[in-house]
Formats: sequence, C-alpha cells, structure tokens
Amino acid sequence: MKKLPEFLKNIVISCAILVMCLVLCQLIQVLFNDNALIPAMFGLAVFLISLITSGYTYGIISALFSVLTVNFAFTVPFFTFDFTIPENIISAIILLIITVVTCGLMERIKHQEVIKAESERERMRANLLRAVSHDLRTPLTTIYGSSSALLENYGLFSEEQSKMMLAGIKEEADWLNRMVENLLSVTRLDGDDVSIIKTETVVDELIDSVLVKFAKRYPDQEVRLDIPSDFLSVPMDTMLIQQVLINLLENAVRHATGMTRLWLKVYTISKKVYFEVRDNGCGIPPERLRDIFSGYMNQGATPVDGKNNAGIGLSVCAAIIRAHGGEIRAQNVRGGGSAFRFYLKQEDKNE
Amino acid sequence: MNNKYRILIVEDEKNITQLLTALLETNGYQVVSATSCQNGIMLFSSHNPDLVILDLGLPDADGMEFLKKIRKNYLTPVIVLSARSDERDKVEALDAGANDYVTKPFGFEELVARIRSALRNSKNAAAPEKTAGGVFRTNGLAIDYGARRVFVDEMEVKLTQTEYNIIAFLSVHSGKVLTYNAIIKEIWGYNDLNSTKRLQVNMANIRKKFGEKPGQNKFIVNELGIGYRMCENDEEN
Repeated sequence: MKKLPEFLKNIVISCAILVMCLVLCQLIQVLFNDNALIPAMFGLAVFLISLITSGYTYGIISALFSVLTVNFAFTVPFFTFDFTIPENIISAIILLIITVVTCGLMERIKHQEVIKAESERERMRANLLRAVSHDLRTPLTTIYGSSSALLENYGLFSEEQSKMMLAGIKEEADWLNRMVENLLSVTRLDGDDVSIIKTETVVDELIDSVLVKFAKRYPDQEVRLDIPSDFLSVPMDTMLIQQVLINLLENAVRHATGMTRLWLKVYTISKKVYFEVRDNGCGIPPERLRDIFSGYMNQGATPVDGKNNAGIGLSVCAAIIRAHGGEIRAQNVRGGGSAFRFYLKQEDKNE
Repeated sequence: MNNKYRILIVEDEKNITQLLTALLETNGYQVVSATSCQNGIMLFSSHNPDLVILDLGLPDADGMEFLKKIRKNYLTPVIVLSARSDERDKVEALDAGANDYVTKPFGFEELVARIRSALRNSKNAAAPEKTAGGVFRTNGLAIDYGARRVFVDEMEVKLTQTEYNIIAFLSVHSGKVLTYNAIIKEIWGYNDLNSTKRLQVNMANIRKKFGEKPGQNKFIVNELGIGYRMCENDEEN
C-alpha cells in the first residue's frame, strides 16, 4: 500500500527533470547553436534525479536514457544511434559512475539518519527511565515510611498526626497512579508501529471529561473555557488526548508560579483543531524551552520539591501528539505566562 | 439482622478482598468472597447474593466468563473491577450485562456509591411506575413520562421525538452507564457506521437545550468512549 505512491512519486520526479532538461537542451541548441553544453546539462539532470529519488534504479535508468538521448538527438549524426564515437562511450561511462556514486552516498546518508534517530530514541528512553525511577522513589518513600510508622507505632501517634500521615499516603499514592498512567501511555506508544486507534470524539464531551477530572484533583483552580459552540468531532485516541490535556493543565498548576488564571481554548483553522492551555504564571525559562518536551531534566535543574515530573508529563504529551500526526509547541506569552498548544487533524471521513 | 444486603466479591488479590470485606462489613453489608471464577460461580448459586463485585483478571478464567454464565439466569447487579483503563474492556463488560465498572485503583467512597446505586437500580427496575405515569426528578431536571414532557428548573424544554426517547431511556436507567451501543439499539433499533455520531449530535443538541456547559453537566455524565450516565434520581421521589 505504502510502496505505490512512493514509486509513482519517483517516476514523476525523474520524468519531470528529464523533460525539463530536454527542453533546456533544445533551447540551448537553438540559441547558441552549440552542443558542448548538452552532456553537462544531462549530467546535472541525472545527478539531481539520483539525489532526490530513493535507491539506484531511477538514477541508472535516467543515466542510460540520457546517454541514448544525447547520442540520438544531440550529436552528429543527428537522430541516429551511433555507438562508434569513443567520446560518447566515455561520457556515458562517466555519467553512470556519477549516478552510482551519488546514489551510494544518498543511501549511506539515509542509513546514518536512521541510526541517529534510533540512538536518539534510545537516549530519550534511558533519560526517561532515570527521571522515572527518581520520581517514583519520592512518593514511595512517603508511602512506605508513613504506613510502616503507623503500623509499628499503632496508637502512639496523636489522632491529628495519624490523619496527616494517612493523608500523605493517599496523596502520594494518587500521584504514583498518575505517573503509572503516563508510563503506560509511553510504553503503548513505543516501538515502530504506533498502535493508536482513533475514534471520532466530540470535543465538548472530551473537554467535559477533562474538566470533571481536573476539578476532582484541583477543586479550587478555575479553568476559563473558550470552545466553539458548533458540534465538533475529531478522530483521536480519547484516553490519550484526555491525558495530554490533564497533564498540561496540571503542569500549569504545579509549575506556573504566581498563576492566577488558567485558560483552555479550542479553535479550528483549516481542518486542524487546536487545543491551547495558557496561564499567566511565571513562564518557562528560555534555557528549558528548547528541550521541554524531550523527557528529561538536565543535571543542573534538579527539582527542588522532588515532584518535578514535568519532564515526564510533557514528553508523554509530545509522544502522544506525535503519534496522532499532530504537533505540540510551548511558548512564553507576551505579558507573562506560558502557552502550550497542539493540534489534531480533522480528517475526512471517507479516507 | 437478616435484612443486610449480601455481596459476593470475586477477586484473586487477597489484600484487596480483605480491604473490601472490612470496609463493606463496617458499612453494613454481608460479604462472601471467592478467589476464582469456578469458586465464584459455586458461591453465587449457594448464597444467592444481592450484588457481585467482579474482578476481570482472575487466575482460572477471564471474569467475563463468570459474567456471561450468571447473566444467563440472573439479573443480579454486577460491578466490574478493572485494572485495565482500556475503554474497550469496559464496553465489552457493560454490553455483556455488567451494571457498572470501577477502575483500579479506586476510592472507597466511589465504590460504595456505585454499590448503592446498583442496588437501588435493581429494585427500581422491578417497579413499573417508573415508566407508567410517574415523574423522574434529578438536580432540577424533571421528566413526565405520561405527558412525554421535560422540564429544567420548572421551565419546559422542547425536545424532538428522538431526543426525548434518549433522555427517557437514560433516566429509566439513571445511575447506570449505558453504552453507545445499548442506547442506539434502544432508540433506532439498528446500528450502522454513523449511529454513534448521530447519537452524539443528538446528545449535543439536548445539552444545548438544557443549557449545560462542559465541566458543569448536572444531568448527564459523559463516560468518554463508552457511553452516557444519567445522574441518579432524587431519592425521595
């Protein structure tokens, strides 16, 4: 299925370049009445084809075609094949060598890109794992410490103390659970064939569920809503996108120091549905803006409160949106605060 | 006390069973527990519980087996416990006859609320006056089944035929999650590619007429990717 368009594309490109070359050669011949430039023109054409198309096939076929064309149409005797002229044969060989070398170089570059992408992913995974094990240990410490203290010293703590420790356990367990949800999503998105199953989801219903869940965790944080009043339905993995939005909202609550307002906005531009979470907090330090989605914290930026899972949460967001074929961006807003924005494609039904 | 509700827990994790047993007993329920599907079916027929809490991941068989087996002969409410947050498992369980689901990890309050609602529902379903000529009320929404009229805060809301049917169907099963499939089957009788979208569009219109805003739905709760749930009716009515 996927091979066909690629193969068609290559043929179209090759033909287009060759035709253009032919036209130019014709022009040159008429204008300058000279044939010296023509082999060079074809050389360039074949070089371009080798550069753009994938594999050796198109380049070599074009090279052979060029040799024959030059021989047939642009050398004396015109419009007959003549394989006895040594210059022609040598130029043919040179053209073929250029083609093969160019194709070979291109293949090697592509191969290296694949390796680079792979090692990049490997590095991201290792960083993620490191961040995770750090972030998991912190809540576990509280849970384990408090519960064992309560169990071993049962009745020794005041009621108030016990309640406080139990509340701590609950809060940290809650946190752990969310982390696990995030990690599950990452593992689901891992690997080459990303297996998300998109279903048509009504934006109003999605936002409703997100806000209900968010309000349960942060009952005091108001979210100002701005969504289109029309019926809007977008294909997505509902659970994952819900998680992205909750992560972004939660990220604002946790990290946008000094925030007083939080906005959630949805709008459509040319078949793309944009979701935007904006706050009026402290904004994102410029040095973090660059790698904010890459899933790890640099050594220098160790979290102070031990709960800095922004790295994981945001890299999960990025992975989910990428898997949907969308794009996510973070930026600082003029007048203070930051905005996270991503879009999903509103595909046609009959696709 | 013989009038306590009897609850059967089918769950293989000992810690969870212990916790649930302790909590349910202190809340005035009588508890029977099984650790496998086989064991569960045996205890079900010998104890005839009022409600079942069923874990889907059992050692000897999928919890779905249990569900399908008892649904052949009984209408006993079943609440499914699921560690999987995948909506498809939930839809499958609900369509196979589960009354509700709770995703692990769950808060105890949530579970007890679901148990109460499921027990009340199973009693209500037996009472025919709910559809005959009664009036359903929840959070300011009133549905007059006899006159087929709907009111929000005492103001009548004009609904289309289909919209009314959806609302009435949800209200009859208030407190219970109804899957898209179940609603579509009830309202249109058939299911095609666009059914879910048709239902969602209708639901969006209903919400608009009710004046509901995302994040503040008072009457109909979204179970994203699964279906809808009408809020429980006010108990005294």
